[in-house]
Amino acid sequence: MSYDVTTQRCGLAALFDLKGSRETIQNWAGDVLPPFPDGPNTRSEKNETELFHIGRDHWIVRSPLSQEDTLESRLNPADCPPDISIVRISDTLTFFRVTGRDTLDVMAVACPLDLHDSVFGPDAVTHTEAFGLKALVLRYADGFEIAVEQSFGDMIEDYLIRAIS
Amino acid sequence: MLLIPCPYCGKRNECEFIYGGPVGAKRPDPNAVNDAEWVEYLTVTPNPQGPVQEKWWHARGCGEWLVIWRDTRTHDIMEAPDDAT
Repeated sequence: MSYDVTTQRCGLAALFDLKGSRETIQNWAGDVLPPFPDGPNTRSEKNETELFHIGRDHWIVRSPLSQEDTLESRLNPADCPPDISIVRISDTLTFFRVTGRDTLDVMAVACPLDLHDSVFGPDAVTHTEAFGLKALVLRYADGFEIAVEQSFGDMIEDYLIRAIS
Repeated sequence: MLLIPCPYCGKRNECEFIYGGPVGAKRPDPNAVNDAEWVEYLTVTPNPQGPVQEKWWHARGCGEWLVIWRDTRTHDIMEAPDDAT
């Protein structure tokens, strides 16, 4: 039996890790960031730039790779206030998209979270496990995205192929 | 399987957590106790049949540390951080 699922390994995206108080980051970044998400483990989006709230005083910004230089010049990590941290992490994560009718079945193999709509809503994003590795999991259109540390990319790609076949 | 209440993420599978050990006894003054008492403080962890206070790290989640009371007979989590959902 095989699942009706399509997996896609995504290319690089511009990613920045933000730590510190929301007010200080907001004041520093100005309007370059989307509105801060209200709830824990949720995300917001503006002009193709997404903001993931993934921990207490901890966010990840994601943009298309073409906007990396612009984002870096606006966030200016080297000169940011000492009580916040801004680090470019674009090349540390590999994203996979899992879409299709049986997505939930395959995600249930990979991940211990309850990913039903009622629990893991359309704007949900969180760190959890995927195939035993620390992973960022978020909803994407009609499926999910999984991000793992980039050196595990090939392994997770292989796991996904095995899980859906 | 334990569902551990993280103060940030809510209840999560124990596989996302790393056990951080028991909440230890208060550190005695090393100059005021004998060797046996000092070694006991350093090496003997509480292992009661019943409630035990433990530290857990949400390492594969949001990174929070939390302290819970867990009953070793039933695995029931009897007390969790106030802001855990």
